[in-house]
Amino acid sequence: MLVPLYGFVEGDTIGLLVLAHDDMPISDVAKKLLTAASLRVQRKDPYDLFRDGQRLPPDASVAELGLGALARVDLRFRKAPP
Amino acid sequence: MLKRDAWLPLSRQLDWEFSYVTPDSAFPELAAGVPALGQSEWDTWEEPFKTSYTEYVEQQSRKEAALEAVRELLNQRKDRLERLDPRWVSALKLHFAILPLAEFAAAIGNLRAARFGRSSAWRCASLLGALDELRHAQIPLALGHDCLSRDGQFDWTHRFYHTTNWVAIAARRLMDEMLLCCDPIEFSIATHFVFETAFTNLQFIGLSAVAHEVGDALFERLLTSIQTDEARHAQIGHAVLELVRDHDPERMQALVDKWFWRSWLVFSVVTGFTMDYLTPLEHRKKSFKEFVGEWVVEQFSASLASFGLKKPWYWAEFERSLEYYHHMVYASAYSYRSTVWFDLVVPSPAERAWLREKYPASFPEFEPIWASISERWRGADPGLDFAVHGTAIVSFCNLCGLVLSHGTPSHNDAEVIEHQGRRRVFCSKVCRYLFEQEPERYARHHDVVMRVLRGEAPGNLLAFLCYSGLSFDDWGKDALRGEYDWIQRTEANAGVR
Repeated sequence: MLVPLYGFVEGDTIGLLVLAHDDMPISDVAKKLLTAASLRVQRKDPYDLFRDGQRLPPDASVAELGLGALARVDLRFRKAPP
Repeated sequence: MLKRDAWLPLSRQLDWEFSYVTPDSAFPELAAGVPALGQSEWDTWEEPFKTSYTEYVEQQSRKEAALEAVRELLNQRKDRLERLDPRWVSALKLHFAILPLAEFAAAIGNLRAARFGRSSAWRCASLLGALDELRHAQIPLALGHDCLSRDGQFDWTHRFYHTTNWVAIAARRLMDEMLLCCDPIEFSIATHFVFETAFTNLQFIGLSAVAHEVGDALFERLLTSIQTDEARHAQIGHAVLELVRDHDPERMQALVDKWFWRSWLVFSVVTGFTMDYLTPLEHRKKSFKEFVGEWVVEQFSASLASFGLKKPWYWAEFERSLEYYHHMVYASAYSYRSTVWFDLVVPSPAERAWLREKYPASFPEFEPIWASISERWRGADPGLDFAVHGTAIVSFCNLCGLVLSHGTPSHNDAEVIEHQGRRRVFCSKVCRYLFEQEPERYARHHDVVMRVLRGEAPGNLLAFLCYSGLSFDDWGKDALRGEYDWIQRTEANAGVR
């Protein structure tokens, strides 16, 4: 089942709608979101996906995490260690 | 025969006592607004700028003649548009689409006040206001039509509000709610006091100065011709506020807070784009922020204080969005330019230096975005717009209908809430607050994302452009077709073209 999510990429200027499958792992959702923003935001590995400030485990699926339609997710790049 | 000074007080305020209907049935609250007040209080309503119908017609006729003379002269030059910078021509297309039917809706708002305003002097002033607004609808329609044979995108001058384009949906939400659906008291506070007093000076004085610099005499004349009308009928709002503020100060403050934010979003996009991106650098005297600082932050703040009103509760939020919002929307719009009816441009290194100087606190955060877009153009042949274009579906605020571009590149301010079993997204906490104050007013907004998810609008970009009323000839492109002399295309990247 398709689950539309509001996605926001750190460094971007606009919120995007990402269509994820409920069995899709979070790492793929993040990749899809980053690709959608790639015109404006340069990819900087590593990165994580967050919901309400909580980092989402990359191997867990959309359904396992209970991400419902039109939930907000944020992609943030990990800061390089000082 | 009465002299002017004896005639005017009689003609502008001619009230009588109703004998066969009650005042409440002549002015029901739903149509006339609250607070109702007693008739004796409305009898004291007085507009500072008084004019008779004869004087009005004479003045407007002179203004029309002056504008028409410039129009005729310039229309004799077949290369009028070609002599203007293509970025400025884009700004014209943006304005010509937004202005005319919004002004027509304002005529309807004024006509409602001309019937349901509780003072006869107010009704007379509103009737002249309605005639003003009809003129403001007709002028850009005529000038846009003059340009149509040279450039098909000018067709959007008339077409814009009749489409399902996302900008038109957002603009209709504002114009419907502010101009068509308000009672005369709310209309007057929203339109005359907030929209016209706080913001239209940005257009009619600030932007007309820019048009002068650019050498666009016709647009300059259009703006100044409209401005003199605005200055007169904006006074209606002051007179209404003067009378009703003491009876319901909380509601007046709430109306100012609501309409200031709604107006700000639209002006930020329309005027912000024009002043900071679509005006050629050599003609820019001030930034959008500097114009807003002068006309809104200083002058409107003083107006609020003079009426005993406070700045809106989100003023700090507004000041931050003055640094960021139109830059956020512009970069987004550039990357989805085919979804609009005018062309956009990548700011050059010199323009970015100017923006850094004008917006030292915020613009550095946009540098990586423009570097990324420029790099994409470096690897694409000029004219290949879709090689430098977004393809994902974007999201829109359930209240204002604009894209989710509030906040900063590091943190987008969008908020998602549950309302009656449905998730709704708002671009900012202010739009969310406004929704929560009057959910019944906005709950039926039919936003673009829901149209796509319900299958009412297509999800792929090309089909979505058709749904938005656009075709290849008129959808937005890079104004310079990607031919920037500061982008060095080398053999090394030729392979990825």
